[in-house]
Amino acid sequence: MSLLLKIAFRNILRNRRRSAMTGSAIAVGALAMLVFGAFTTYLFASFQTNLVQRIGHLTVFQKGFFLFGSGNPTAYGIDRYQDVMDLIAGDPVLKPLINVVTPTQSVVGIAGNFEGENDAAKTFIGVGVVPADRDRMRQWNEFGAGRVWPADTRFDAVDPSVGLIGGGIARILGLCAPLKIANCPSPPASATRALVAANAPADPEIGDLVRRDVAVDNPGAVGTMPRLDLLSATANGAPNVVSLRVAGLDPQGIKELDDNYVAMQLGLAQQLVYGRGEHKATGIVIQLKRSEDLRPARARLTALLQQHKLDLEVHDFAELTPFYTQVLGLFGSIFLFIAVIMGVIVLFAVVNTMTMNVMERTNEIGTVRAMGVRRRGIRRQFVVEGAMLGMIGATLGLVLAVIVAAVVNHAGLTWNPPASVNFIPLRLELFGRPALIIGTWLGLVLVATIAALIPANRAAKLPVVDALRHV
Amino acid sequence: MSGGTPAPAVRLSEVTKTYQSGAVEVAALRGISLAIPVRSFAMVVGPSGSGKTTLLNLVGCIDKPSTGTVEVCGQRIGELSDNALADFRARTIGFVFQNFNLVPVLSAYENVEYPLLLIGMPAAQRCERTLAMLDAVGLSKQGRQRPNELSGGQKQRVAIARALVKEPGLVLADEPTANLDSETGASIIELMHKVQSRFHTTFVFSTHDPHLMSHADAIFTIRDGQLVDHQEEAAQ
Repeated sequence: MSLLLKIAFRNILRNRRRSAMTGSAIAVGALAMLVFGAFTTYLFASFQTNLVQRIGHLTVFQKGFFLFGSGNPTAYGIDRYQDVMDLIAGDPVLKPLINVVTPTQSVVGIAGNFEGENDAAKTFIGVGVVPADRDRMRQWNEFGAGRVWPADTRFDAVDPSVGLIGGGIARILGLCAPLKIANCPSPPASATRALVAANAPADPEIGDLVRRDVAVDNPGAVGTMPRLDLLSATANGAPNVVSLRVAGLDPQGIKELDDNYVAMQLGLAQQLVYGRGEHKATGIVIQLKRSEDLRPARARLTALLQQHKLDLEVHDFAELTPFYTQVLGLFGSIFLFIAVIMGVIVLFAVVNTMTMNVMERTNEIGTVRAMGVRRRGIRRQFVVEGAMLGMIGATLGLVLAVIVAAVVNHAGLTWNPPASVNFIPLRLELFGRPALIIGTWLGLVLVATIAALIPANRAAKLPVVDALRHV
Repeated sequence: MSGGTPAPAVRLSEVTKTYQSGAVEVAALRGISLAIPVRSFAMVVGPSGSGKTTLLNLVGCIDKPSTGTVEVCGQRIGELSDNALADFRARTIGFVFQNFNLVPVLSAYENVEYPLLLIGMPAAQRCERTLAMLDAVGLSKQGRQRPNELSGGQKQRVAIARALVKEPGLVLADEPTANLDSETGASIIELMHKVQSRFHTTFVFSTHDPHLMSHADAIFTIRDGQLVDHQEEAAQ
């Protein structure tokens, strides 16, 4: 150990109480940043898992759909989507990266429950999916930060009319009782009438149309599952109705979506949108095996589509869900705020400690300067002490953070991530991101080093004679 | 300088030193000229405030004169930069302070070794030289002890060893016995005289101690910043 480090370390030990206070401040700073950073890491992982399980990493749309398609999804259908899917799945670059390639069909319209005494209808936002692909997508859990879903047997592919709906729309349309949903109140009879009036199609004849068409298209559609009648306009502008047998709930984490959400099988959605015409798909969803392949996969996919002169565009899950980016930004800002506060605390603590050290050791500074130590040698001595203090404090904080993370991870705590209805285990992903640990540690050591520079400069500039005279 | 006479270790020519104390200018030294022969055991004496410490600071190259020239071991210090002065001190000058001024977090051995590290001496030679020096001052068994574990006399012995270990051309001692009892002070004087004879180093002291003065080869008496008396070859 060089003399510089020896003197620095021994001086830290010499002023034990002062060093302990400063080291504790640095340790608390490191602990706060690491624990919050670990929580944020897990939050991002949970959130991303939730999104990727639902909408995949990438979605291919007809050009313009992203900006204008929600107003008229039928106008932006992808022709011969199966060929495009085969092209993607068969690409030698993309193939090893891809977990699932599946079509999806968006549809908007009016859902009505006219069974028995019910006479309720409201707008819905529907999505048509391939149940087997949906099951595979919901198995994705790259970060171990989400729920791995078993195959959803309710979404029975044998019966193409079976689907799932959001909890909100089930409540509004009076399906709580038929679906035997706990904690889901049925509307009172008087309110039902008012609700029906409010949500009913503007033209009262549409309700009749629904009843008549369903009766014609599904004469035997009577089962144990409650039925919803879905009305939409076809690509040609003609009204079309299909019957959805509601197998259960697929609750959504955002109320607005939960109040409107209807998931059905792809064929049913296509039948509703395209009738007997050519069936297209709104999008082709691609779920990758690993999120880190997102960028190269997107680049390759875009190049592939251009190469085949397909008028399609690619968007990732973050673009399709701005909320994701907003949450990331929010938590990133909070982390930055904590880091700045902790940095300022560390800065002042180290400046204060090193200033006191310089004052107490002024005579020693004069002595070693007289012996032939240059100004920069004095500066280096105090900077090394500050850096060492930072290293000790940051390392202590890291050890504490590891202990806190271990306790939290084994405490069995659960939480509800943003835009999710499922409670998942609360974990602190401390070791998942070495950049967090290294960045926090280095950042605090850097702040401590910079803080030490101020008193170190003062020490270096002391005239030798004045320093020796200091008592 | 006449032919055959060695150049003095220290030569001061018309040196003045003034300090600014608020609006008042205080003259600490008023045109001092003197020459201290090499390998001498020289004393600077005078009452408090006479300018002894200022003179030693200039000779020790830790301060610069307001006017005049200071030459130490053949080097005019006014021409050197701050870094060059530091390097010059590291190689050429050893200090013994009234309050010992040992680095408290270093052991006696490490304190003595410190000046050798500054001049970049190889480790093996450094170790050999340090142990020999501790042995020379009678502290070979106290090498691992920290200054707070040593008596006043032992601390001053370590300080002497530290000043001499690099075999400097000049050792300056500012009232080295002032904080020691008379018996310890006497033993320290004896030690310094012994090592001075052994290493042929020039020693310059500032002192009030008549016992120390009795060992001097040359005594320079200063009063009110002026040299008022100079005796060569005083009582040995």
